[in-house]
Amino acid sequence: METRSKSLVDLMSSSSGTEIFTHGGVGYVPPTARQDDIQTNGTLSIVSYSIGKCIEWKPNEVSIETDGSEQEWALVNTSKPASTSSAPADNIAQRWLPVRIPLTEIRSYRVSNKKTKLLFVHKDRLSHTVFYFQFENADCFTKSLRSVVRTRRSRHDKHTYNLIHERHEPQMPVSFSDFNLLSDQKETVWKFVSDLKSRPYETTLSTFSKVSDFLLYNKYPYERPPEERAFNQEDKRQPTVVDGQKSDGLSDYQVVERRDQLPPRVLSPRGPPLSFHQWCNAMNTEGRITDPDAIKKIIFDGGVQESIRFDVWKYLLGYLPWDSTAEERQDLRQKKTEEYFRMKLQWKSMTAEQESRFSDFRDRKTLIEKDVNRTDRSIPFFEGDDNPNLKLLYDVLMTYVMYDFDLGYVQGMSDLLSPILSVMCNEVDAFWCFVGFMKKVFRNFDMDQSGMKKQLSQLHTLLSAVQPELSTFLDEHESGNMFFCFRWLLVWFKREFQHEEIMELWEVLWTDLPCRNFHLLISVAILEQQRDTIIGNNFGFTEILKHVNDLALNLNLHDVLATAASIFTQLESSPNLTTATRRVLGLMANEAAANSSTSDDDSIISEGLHCAVERSASDECDRELLVSLPV
Amino acid sequence: MAKSYDYLFKLLLIGDSGVGKTCVLFRFSEDAFNNTFISTIGIDFKIRTIELDGKKIKLQIWDTAGQERFRTITTAYYRGAMGIMLVYDITNEKSFDNIKNWIRNIEENATTDVEKMLLGNKCDAAEKRVVSREKGEQLAIEYGIKFMETSAKDSINVETAFFSIARDIKAKTEKKLEASNPPKGGHQIKANEPSRKPTNWLMRCSIL
Repeated sequence: METRSKSLVDLMSSSSGTEIFTHGGVGYVPPTARQDDIQTNGTLSIVSYSIGKCIEWKPNEVSIETDGSEQEWALVNTSKPASTSSAPADNIAQRWLPVRIPLTEIRSYRVSNKKTKLLFVHKDRLSHTVFYFQFENADCFTKSLRSVVRTRRSRHDKHTYNLIHERHEPQMPVSFSDFNLLSDQKETVWKFVSDLKSRPYETTLSTFSKVSDFLLYNKYPYERPPEERAFNQEDKRQPTVVDGQKSDGLSDYQVVERRDQLPPRVLSPRGPPLSFHQWCNAMNTEGRITDPDAIKKIIFDGGVQESIRFDVWKYLLGYLPWDSTAEERQDLRQKKTEEYFRMKLQWKSMTAEQESRFSDFRDRKTLIEKDVNRTDRSIPFFEGDDNPNLKLLYDVLMTYVMYDFDLGYVQGMSDLLSPILSVMCNEVDAFWCFVGFMKKVFRNFDMDQSGMKKQLSQLHTLLSAVQPELSTFLDEHESGNMFFCFRWLLVWFKREFQHEEIMELWEVLWTDLPCRNFHLLISVAILEQQRDTIIGNNFGFTEILKHVNDLALNLNLHDVLATAASIFTQLESSPNLTTATRRVLGLMANEAAANSSTSDDDSIISEGLHCAVERSASDECDRELLVSLPV
Repeated sequence: MAKSYDYLFKLLLIGDSGVGKTCVLFRFSEDAFNNTFISTIGIDFKIRTIELDGKKIKLQIWDTAGQERFRTITTAYYRGAMGIMLVYDITNEKSFDNIKNWIRNIEENATTDVEKMLLGNKCDAAEKRVVSREKGEQLAIEYGIKFMETSAKDSINVETAFFSIARDIKAKTEKKLEASNPPKGGHQIKANEPSRKPTNWLMRCSIL
């Protein structure tokens, strides 16, 4: 492959091309340079050769002393740079070389930095080439590019365009002379002789490769059998959804991705939300939900209709038992209401003098006051000065401090409560639902952050299984600790999605379907969408963090959910998963059954449940104590 | 096109939750203020390039979550910081008392010669003041660091503070560069090649 790619470039350099379009004032940063390194000014062109089109960049002043008198070309193709480890002086020399990229080698391009930066991602997804437009933007150039090759805007990134390569391009040369192997023969022979003198080894090999290409493949050297061609494989990877619209396939399920280690990716469309009608029908005459699993499945696939959220969430968050009758629920709610107000009274009745001797309490109160004033103030439910709902938010959080004094209040908790309160609209229901949510995520707020660290490491495990290339890239760029996903996991993507979307995401996650730690697969799905940008731009530690932080409110929830679900299906049916991966997802069916009594140290969720049991036991004690308190 | 700056300095804002770190940063990077800011979760940074003595200085300023619990994560970002702004709120005694703990935290996690500066924020709220200016000055003297009272809301001293710490870091960096050996063999620069000096300096003074 390497020799053949090389020979194509060589082939082109020996033939004369027609410039279709040329743009001056374009800087080029060699891959060996740093992000902000000096760029060389030059011209960027699209050049047509008999065997295909190329993008070419030439520096304005070729003042570098080359060993031979011939102008050399930097090979920019899927093969790795020949001498990345060479001495710095060589790299400096390399930066002045012209650049030529066959269009067939380009997978996609992306325009950024106010349209001044044009990045080409190569077929191998590993290498990339960056040009900077110094006087005007890249529009003019990309417009010309689109006139010579078909492109399609990426689903994942509106600034990225994938190139669609036609099967029959480039045209097959009809005769030996059309290969241009020996066109302009005098010059070529002369070049060959001079090259042979200055670089005998490379020149000989390169010439041999041209001959062997011809002898072995007996046709245009770059043409592969259709089943072997890289862009054919690429085509299979193209999502079937074009411009956000589902293609008119007969089946709802389509294979969209093929991987070596994992089974094919099957992307299932999101379903409709649980409707009022379905919800009413799910209850029997006594008011019991007869088949909670079926309800959860609907919610997992499509969320919950807004009008019934206030009811459904109480079940999802364990406040109301699924199998309770309407009558039992009435009793329970009465009991829980009393319990809530008893706890509320405890902090309400604390005197200033008491507080002055209770610094732990005071600190929590101050923190809550601060955070209540800066939680979701832009959504209608909390906006405006003196909004009465702020007091509700404050009261519920303060009461939670009394409910779980060990945890008290940690930043991020107000983010978790806010959507619940905005749905419940009353403090008692919001409080008990919040308690249920906290039971799922309290490890996020560990004093030593061990719960967060564990999840970040579990996320890395999953990413390695699904996107090994990206996970290796992160490791190599000081980001293997996944700290840049901290905010995602701490508050379950609260800051990444719009208010409406976060409600749907959370209700999906609250179903505990289809596996443990599904929220980590949500993270994997988002990272996968950003893979090409992160790798293509060769982002470092700081850029990765910035890029991920800047994704906030720019994500498409339904895309992410559908991808995450499909990743799970893919992993579940894979025979090659590591034990670590299985454990994170809770796919160790046999082990779990056999060792149900031993604590599974690798699962946050199971620990959560474990502790929840302990906690409810201690809740009982609390309740007894509380009952004896004068109300 | 030459690189757009001569130096890159990494700065860090630390201090108790709610003292206004994000607001100070927002005032400096966007020259704006928003009363309804959200709390910072995890870590983020903003960039602003300033000019000092004809040199372009790119400031990469990291903003951290203030609550103690998140320190194990945020301290991972102390590494490579060349300047640290310690921020307290003049209307909150506790945030001032905690500066001592923050300094200890720096000593444990940041490079020893990191440039430090103490900022008493919210100085616009005179009626709620509980920490006197003198107290702030005294603490700064104790630690041998610079001190300023700022207001992100009324845009008081924010610009001055960042320029001041940048100037100190620049002086320190240039002194170090002078002290280190003048350019000699090993990395030959061709005469017709544009100067690559800034890149090398950058590589040396930022451990990013």
